[in-house]
Amino acid sequence: MRNDYKIILDIIPSGSKVLDIGCSSGELLSLLNVKDDVQTQGVEINQEKVVTCLENGLDVVQGDINQILEDFPHNQFDYCILTQTIQTVNAPDKLLQLLKKVGKNIIISFDNSNYYKKVFNFSVKGSFDNLLGESHEDQWFNTENIHPCSIKDFTILAKKVGFTINETYDVKKNQRFLFPKAPSNIFCNEVLFNLST
Amino acid sequence: MREIIQNIKYPGFILKCDEELILDSGKSLDKVEIAYQTYGKLNLDKSNAILVCHALTGDQFPAEKNPITKKKGWWDLMIGPGKTVDTEKYFVICSNVLGGCVGTTGPNEINPKTNKIYGIDFPTITIQDMVKVQKILIDELKIEKLLSVIGGSMGSMQVLQWAASYPESLRSIISIAGALKHSAQNIAFDEAGRQSIMLDPNWRKGNYLSEDTKPENGLSVARMIAHITYLSDAAFQKKFGRNLQEKKDLSFGFDIDFQVESYLRYQGKSFVDRFDANSYLYMTRAMDYFDVSEQIIKNKKSIISNKIRFLVVSFTSDWLFPTKESRGIVSLLNSIGSLVSSAEVVSDRGHDSFLLDEHQLFKITTGFLKGIKS
Repeated sequence: MRNDYKIILDIIPSGSKVLDIGCSSGELLSLLNVKDDVQTQGVEINQEKVVTCLENGLDVVQGDINQILEDFPHNQFDYCILTQTIQTVNAPDKLLQLLKKVGKNIIISFDNSNYYKKVFNFSVKGSFDNLLGESHEDQWFNTENIHPCSIKDFTILAKKVGFTINETYDVKKNQRFLFPKAPSNIFCNEVLFNLST
Repeated sequence: MREIIQNIKYPGFILKCDEELILDSGKSLDKVEIAYQTYGKLNLDKSNAILVCHALTGDQFPAEKNPITKKKGWWDLMIGPGKTVDTEKYFVICSNVLGGCVGTTGPNEINPKTNKIYGIDFPTITIQDMVKVQKILIDELKIEKLLSVIGGSMGSMQVLQWAASYPESLRSIISIAGALKHSAQNIAFDEAGRQSIMLDPNWRKGNYLSEDTKPENGLSVARMIAHITYLSDAAFQKKFGRNLQEKKDLSFGFDIDFQVESYLRYQGKSFVDRFDANSYLYMTRAMDYFDVSEQIIKNKKSIISNKIRFLVVSFTSDWLFPTKESRGIVSLLNSIGSLVSSAEVVSDRGHDSFLLDEHQLFKITTGFLKGIKS
């Protein structure tokens, strides 16, 4: 099981209502459904993936994250989950503001652009491409990751929007940071934030 | 007293009711008859029944060959052995709606009180009235919970009304190319169609059947107007462009020059043979009156406690029931905390897409039905 899923399953208590934004084929939703009395809802743009979710009995709305959250009523979900997606949206600040309305708690994970290997590669090779993602096909002109950010960048934005940072995790190491509010850590490749409104 | 008999006029069955049916308008109907057809077999625990709701000009024959027109049923692509709504797995029920003209009580039938054809004396009916009659049928078939209720366009309205009125009798809902309410533009199109019928001198204030005539011109123009709204700019362009009809030059007159004119006139003419003008008035009115949001909100506790799963499907080029309307359905269902899925199918064939060979529609619906079983 993916590390971020393990962490998320630990965070979410039974009886929660959960919205997974960019839920893909519903792996996380299926895992959450096994937990006691967790009600899940997914959002996914790719129709084939929506069909896979439906076949597995999951409830998924097809739509573009950049627009669809406006259709969701306020305070409807205990948890909104956004894994590896924030860096792909048109306006991460606006998305965070919308998420604040829709959910009571927000779980967000993304790659830390300040990770020392990336910074080293960028400095030595002089190319931005390595900063953008794991995939070798990702280049600066065609990448989906249009808003790469560091842990520090995100911390500043989350506070500005009015979130409380409850916990932060190093996903690759499956470890919780001791000081959640200032984890500007160059040794962390992928980070997960547990925020509340 | 209710009894089910074989339908003699049309293949299938008729449920005859003895009780008085009170309508939304406050008026009532006596001795309502419901013409319906079934496909597949009801299983022992009666858990595989799917109710299919037809659109404005549909009938109770969605699958196989239509016994009246001898053409394929209107949803034969969707329903049948091995198809999306697999009649080897599911028991499919489809009834002609109240106010319809294919055997269910409607304006072209005899009023038992007067022994004359109802005509315009038929009371105004609503989508809720149509669904009330369907519920009587489902009760009579002793089905406690329908596996699903499926419908497109006016069928979608009935489907949503089912969720609002009888959530305890459902496991799932599939709304295709639908809306929570008829838009102002749609009411406007309906009104143009109705005026076309009523301004035909042969309409005779609705008494044309007893005077042995038919407002054929009015009904066919109404159908032509409506048919335009079922397609799309791209569909018209692709099908006809500016191609001329069996001629090389323009006629400089008002005869048929363009293929699209010929097509529309044919659509209008062939409709007259299979549809009743008064039925068209009553059913478009029922659609105009449809506005189900408040009822859904009112009944949200029951919708949630019965864990009804909703699937809402729309088409990119549908401008009669655009995706915006389906998003409205999803948004409302989300706000009451119900279980909802949705998808938008890419198609350039307009509103009619729901009746056509749309592979993604079948795939989505098949997936959803499979998910309900598991």
